Amino acid sequence: MAAHLSYGRVNLNVLREAVRRELREFLDKCAGSKEHEVEKMFTLKGSRLPAADVKNIIFFVRPRLELMDIIAENVLSEDRRGPARDFHILFVPRRSLLCEQRLKDLGVLGSFIHREEYSLDLIPFDGDLLSMESEGAFKECYLESDQTSLYHAAKGLMTLQALYGTIPQIFGKGECARYLPCLMGLPFPPFQERHNAKTVGEIKQFVSQLPHMQAARGSLANHTSIAELIKDVTTSEDFFDKLTVEQEFMSGIDTDKVNSYIEDCIAQKHPLIKVLRLVCLQSVCNSGLKQKVLDYYKREILQTYGYEHILTLYNLEKAGLLKPQMGGRNNYPTIRKTLRLWMDDVNEQNPTDISYVYSGYAPLSVRLAQLLSRPGWRSIEEVLRILPGPHFEERQPLPTGLQKKRQPGENRVTLIFFLGGVTFAEIAALRFLSQLEDGGTEYVIATTKLMNGASWIESLMEKPF
Amino acid sequence: MDCYTANWNPLGDSAFYRKYELYSMDWDLKEELRDCLVAAAPYGGPIALLRNPWRKEKAASIRPVLEIYSASGLPLASLLWKSGPVVSLGWSAEEELLCVQEDGVVLVYGLHGDFRRHFSMGNEVLQNRVLDARIFHTEFGSGVAILTGAHRFTLSANVGDLKLRRMPEVPGLQSAPSCWTTLCQDRVAHILLAVGPDLYLLDHAACSAVTPPGLAPGVSSFLQMAVSFTYRHLALFTDTGYIWMGTASLKEKLCEFNCNIRAPPKQMVWCSRPRSKERAVVVAWERRLMVVGDAPESIQFVLDEDSYLVPELDGVRIFSCSTHEFLHEVPVASEEIFKIASMAPGALLLEAQKEYEKESQKADEYLREIQELGHLTQAVQQCIEAAGHEHQPDMQKSLLRAASFGKCFLDRFPPDSFVRMCQDLRVLNAIRDYHIGIPLTYSQYKQLTIQVLLDRLVLRRLYPLAIQICEYLRLPEVQGVSRILAHWACYKVQQKDVSDEDVARAINQKLGDTPGVSYSDIAARAYGCGRTELAIKLLEYEPRSGEQVPLLLKMKRSKLALSKAIESGDTDLVFTVLLHLKNELNRGDFFMTLRNQPMALSLYRQFCKHQELETLKDLYNQDDNHQELGSFHIRASYAAEERIEGRVAALQMAADAFYKAKNEFAAKATEDQMRLLRLQRRLEDELGGHFVDLSLHDTVTTLVLGGHSKRAEQLARDFRIPDKRLWWLKLTALADLEDWEELEKFSKSKKSPIGYLVVPALRLRRSQLLYVCQGGGGARLCTLKGI
Repeated sequence: MAAHLSYGRVNLNVLREAVRRELREFLDKCAGSKEHEVEKMFTLKGSRLPAADVKNIIFFVRPRLELMDIIAENVLSEDRRGPARDFHILFVPRRSLLCEQRLKDLGVLGSFIHREEYSLDLIPFDGDLLSMESEGAFKECYLESDQTSLYHAAKGLMTLQALYGTIPQIFGKGECARYLPCLMGLPFPPFQERHNAKTVGEIKQFVSQLPHMQAARGSLANHTSIAELIKDVTTSEDFFDKLTVEQEFMSGIDTDKVNSYIEDCIAQKHPLIKVLRLVCLQSVCNSGLKQKVLDYYKREILQTYGYEHILTLYNLEKAGLLKPQMGGRNNYPTIRKTLRLWMDDVNEQNPTDISYVYSGYAPLSVRLAQLLSRPGWRSIEEVLRILPGPHFEERQPLPTGLQKKRQPGENRVTLIFFLGGVTFAEIAALRFLSQLEDGGTEYVIATTKLMNGASWIESLMEKPF
Repeated sequence: MDCYTANWNPLGDSAFYRKYELYSMDWDLKEELRDCLVAAAPYGGPIALLRNPWRKEKAASIRPVLEIYSASGLPLASLLWKSGPVVSLGWSAEEELLCVQEDGVVLVYGLHGDFRRHFSMGNEVLQNRVLDARIFHTEFGSGVAILTGAHRFTLSANVGDLKLRRMPEVPGLQSAPSCWTTLCQDRVAHILLAVGPDLYLLDHAACSAVTPPGLAPGVSSFLQMAVSFTYRHLALFTDTGYIWMGTASLKEKLCEFNCNIRAPPKQMVWCSRPRSKERAVVVAWERRLMVVGDAPESIQFVLDEDSYLVPELDGVRIFSCSTHEFLHEVPVASEEIFKIASMAPGALLLEAQKEYEKESQKADEYLREIQELGHLTQAVQQCIEAAGHEHQPDMQKSLLRAASFGKCFLDRFPPDSFVRMCQDLRVLNAIRDYHIGIPLTYSQYKQLTIQVLLDRLVLRRLYPLAIQICEYLRLPEVQGVSRILAHWACYKVQQKDVSDEDVARAINQKLGDTPGVSYSDIAARAYGCGRTELAIKLLEYEPRSGEQVPLLLKMKRSKLALSKAIESGDTDLVFTVLLHLKNELNRGDFFMTLRNQPMALSLYRQFCKHQELETLKDLYNQDDNHQELGSFHIRASYAAEERIEGRVAALQMAADAFYKAKNEFAAKATEDQMRLLRLQRRLEDELGGHFVDLSLHDTVTTLVLGGHSKRAEQLARDFRIPDKRLWWLKLTALADLEDWEELEKFSKSKKSPIGYLVVPALRLRRSQLLYVCQGGGGARLCTLKGI
């Protein structure tokens, strides 16, 4: 048991155990015995496999074509090397015909004794946090219209439902989100498991947390070191300058002209990701940039960082992060005001609002979640309509026997699924809401990828050489 | 109680055998059994008869007829035999009838006389004809062993996975063996055969002569041999009327018996019970049945009519024209309870309960007696166990009542064994019913398992009973009711006289959305029967669109399959269909199909990006997607071409595409890039060093660093680099060069576009922190050292 997964309202150890069992079954099948003596583990790399005195070699891979080429290379060089080994391949989280076709084309498909899938869609990271760790999800959905990751997300949700019971109400915002319930419109497994820990269950859970608390003490040192490292960054002048500009944009100051800090960053050839982030932020906070401003930035970027980045810039435009202002008015101030996205008086020591996570900016996604739980989205219909993508509500009927009345004082549990990724600050904001005494809602977070502003932009970049 | 043991026959001192009637048969046979080929499946299975098997005439009236009956004699099928002469019949473990023809072809029929398939036992068998054949069962399945006219054996240990094995020759064998059988040792099938006084064991490699230990002298021929149900024991009947019983490995003799009958018996089979120490064989002649074992006396029965023996796990079934009986060793629990004057705890408890019903105080006496000895738990267990071995429901009930009565006086008797026995007996009584006709004993039922029993009910198309049993035993739907309904539906689609609409509706009404029922499986069956339209109708009920796809593809409804795959959201499934379509359609049609399915189109583009770049270009062209086409050429300019001219040409195509896309910015930028690329090439030629693929900014920087200020200035002017950035560029480059003088000169040369600021300059070397302080009077440089 992993203690850190069982402290939340939803015991994610149940999920962990379920997927572990699946893995064990596969290992049993490969090794043909009950013992899973894993001799060595290697990262997938080209050419030959490192030497190891083993009978079975199992490849754990995402179903991506480029990985198939590496595997084929491994297998072929192994075949030349000598004593026959048994190869197996386990696709995570789904088998792929294309990949198998590729292996076939490379002449190694027959070398695998077992070819199966390991439906590890959602990986538990913490007691309230699940991630698919699918880096490409945002890019695939928005740039390539490839909904594979949505399908996997739906499967992951189905698994959660099978383990923890049907989700009675589903709210969503955005094109991809709208598509998800359609994918889940499958017949649900008939059984239910409820974890309304009370009395004995609660005590057991508490006991199971004890080792966790001891471990927590041990990790205090780690956290202190991490905090020190973070502090080095956050106290630097550069960080401060950048934050100032970000905050100016988010509070709507001078978003319509070329920003001199960005200009300087380009001139000094600061990391491209930083520049792109700022330009995108300005574009979003201004509902698009004036054509002249946009072209200026783009030209500066191409001249400084290289013309190949025209592909990246196009990706950002396609994703809507960078765009010319199309007549119309700038909606951002309305959104900011209605949803109180900017708070001037932030108390970072004893926060009273989620805006503390960005020292002023309240993440939009989390604000929407907060408003959904109280007073409900009906109160913000108008602003919801300005935000991109449809919003919706779906209900899944529960058999009357399973409709559970919440006890007074018992919090509602809400699972928030961030398609495309969730940032660490958003997680912090939701955890803040979970901990509010009068919040009434505890959040479980699921996502396609844990990320931050930089890794998100990076996933949209394209390097042709 | 007095007469209850009337049909018990002692064999030696320690065992009783009893024979009781299972059914009276009114199957109205037209022939004597001896005129038929007979095969009866174990585990209370069906009986097959082939009448007139040896007639060669073509006249229809006396053609062979194959009839199949339930164990209770209900007709299940009857068909005229139109194929070749049959040598032997036998049932497989799946209750399929195997008919071995003289030419070595084996025809396989279902329980209802439906032809399933056929296979051949090979050329050698075909040439030499089949003299004799046996169907036998192993842990792998059902096998066939053939003795050919050339006195050679061929066998297949599993007809489900036919691998023919020709056994080695028996040296000097001139005539057919007097008797033979298949043995199964160490998971390998062997053949044991008798030729005159000699026995030979054939395995796949060799033929070896064997001698049974302790065989009485004077044997000149073996007339019969019998292997037990579990292949553990072997019995040999000799021409001296002597019976040898021992282990099948021929290593140990268990006992022997001399029956003094020299006539060859019609049948000889083992009659033993699992976990019993008693060993006995049942030998049948025309009118006589004998049970012999390790006892000086045998048990003898008179056979009123022509009878046939069916060995079972725990006894022998004996059927004739009019009756069907079961002969077995009385189980221990029953013996303890019912043996005359038994004082076993179970016997006392049964008495106590009877007295209790009579409201007699003796009940208390008996009960006390058991309790004082502390045997009550054992008594209850005995009664429960004995109930399981009783065939008559009345006797089952009184034993269970006794157990239930005894339970009341026990504090902690776990109820499951009692409850389970009640349930099991209810199931057993239901299937033993004459109309169902599966006379399983409790031991057989446990060995067979409920899952297999349900399969057998399904095979007999007894769907309602199977469902009732599932519901009664509360089996999970997926294993139980759903599975049976699915089987029913698969049967239903074969009813050709019912219209597609009616069949589809009937199936949907009954199945609804029962969990675990796969409409696509049923549809696949319908398609298998040639009913494509019905299959499509049934697929409509399949809630998981993904499940519909494989069958639709098989039925060549690829476009429908594509929309279903898209509906499912399973992108891998969409790819499956796409690759299918790509092979099926010509390129134009394929592209048209894609055009109407945006999701499929984008997936296919992804595929092309990795696999077929040229096709990707065609797709963009088809859609007039000039923007993407532009990006495509940009990528191509990096990927394919090494030579500058090739790269410039690719970029030119990109620029053209961008113009067409009305993306002036991108077009101009690409033209700038072409210009830069040519220039970089020239710089490399003239100055050496590396320029190609540097950004404009880095190109200028490199020039400055190389001391080519003029060229740098020129380039900056050509590409209209803003002053501010150029100033920064130079500042940084000079700082890198640590050319402080030049830097100072430069900063004083004209008014800095950066304005008044204090900037930590970049790329500090040797821990020198450099500040450029620029005020009204020009720039001042200071280093940390200086401060």
